[in-house]
Amino acid sequence: MDCEAIRDDMLDVLYGEGGEAAARRVEAHQATCGDCRREMADLRRLRADLSHWRLPESLLARPAAPARSRRLPPGLAAAAILILASTAGLGLAGAEVRYDHSGLSVRLGHGTDARSLADLERRHREELAALRAELAAVRPPDDRPLLRTVADMIRESESRQDEARLASLRVLQQRTETQRQYDLARMSAGLSYLDGKAGLQAARTTELVGHLLQASQQK
Amino acid sequence: MTPTDEDLVVAFQSGDIPAFDQLVRRWDRKIQGVIYRLVGNHDEARDLSQEAFLKAYRALGTFKKEARFSSWLYQIAINATRDRLRRRRRRTDLSLDDVEEKGESSLRDGAPSALDLIESSDLSRVVAAAMAALPEEQREVVILKEYQGLTFPEIAETLDVPLSTVKTRLYRGLGQLRIRLERQGIRGGAAVPVPSA
Repeated sequence: MDCEAIRDDMLDVLYGEGGEAAARRVEAHQATCGDCRREMADLRRLRADLSHWRLPESLLARPAAPARSRRLPPGLAAAAILILASTAGLGLAGAEVRYDHSGLSVRLGHGTDARSLADLERRHREELAALRAELAAVRPPDDRPLLRTVADMIRESESRQDEARLASLRVLQQRTETQRQYDLARMSAGLSYLDGKAGLQAARTTELVGHLLQASQQK
Repeated sequence: MTPTDEDLVVAFQSGDIPAFDQLVRRWDRKIQGVIYRLVGNHDEARDLSQEAFLKAYRALGTFKKEARFSSWLYQIAINATRDRLRRRRRRTDLSLDDVEEKGESSLRDGAPSALDLIESSDLSRVVAAAMAALPEEQREVVILKEYQGLTFPEIAETLDVPLSTVKTRLYRGLGQLRIRLERQGIRGGAAVPVPSA
């Protein structure tokens, strides 16, 4: 087997893909071919050199796991379950759980009786009144300067549009006048041509009549 | 039991969109790695990798089951990289001589990023420069074989060329690399001593 034919087998053996049959063929060939033996050794050394080409560390870093698949530590998970269960239990028992600016508060008791409802309504009314008072205290912003600015901008815009319109009209007028002059010049040239033609015809007729007169006189 | 790529593809095609996230997590580093070695620039590798995954996401619905997902994904990544390199070549019209003179950085749009320089050793840079100087077809095969560990049939499938072509390109590529590394004073894992002037 020649060196060219063994090349594919050599590559298979180099990368551990050829199996025993390819390995035997390569071994048998190299036993009699020093060039291929050296080449195989060179290729193995080359592969060792190529292995030094490293990726940047930043590319090797593991990507962060997505947030939704993160798991809570076992202790925290247990605490969360406990809180959820307690809250559900408190709700069923008629207790009130609130979380506001003062933090988490739990009120135990039967919240469905008439007194509790009256308290709840009173509190809501107070809160609504406080909100209304807060709303009334807020003064409407003075938008007059803004309106003046907007009106100025509109005026400027209209003025610019007027100027642009006038300029367009001037250009149009100029073009029309130019076109008129050009048309007049063409008409004049046409009339002159016709005049010239008619004059020539008359001259020819006069000349012809002269010839006729001369001929008749000679006779 | 860990689902195979093909299981995840089937799941995605049946409407399980998060299955694609798993595929991305599984292949992101490998795809970024192969692109980085082809373009030699970290930011561009990230950018092209995202582009490749976006294309894969759009096309996965029509992916045929008889193909290997990995080969299909590599194919998308390599095609995206080829397009980018082609556009870059149009801009710089770089010659092989330039590459030899300037080394790895000449294949990039500008200088390598500071991060790339800090993180790469001298030998790593010499190998990268030699690799960058290879013809594109040979470089792709060498990188897929040497650094991605694909088998010859997988490379043939990825690049859509016959097996014999893969081996020819690899053999020629390795030959070129050997010559270039020897020119740089590297022979068989050790630097050739430079004679004193």
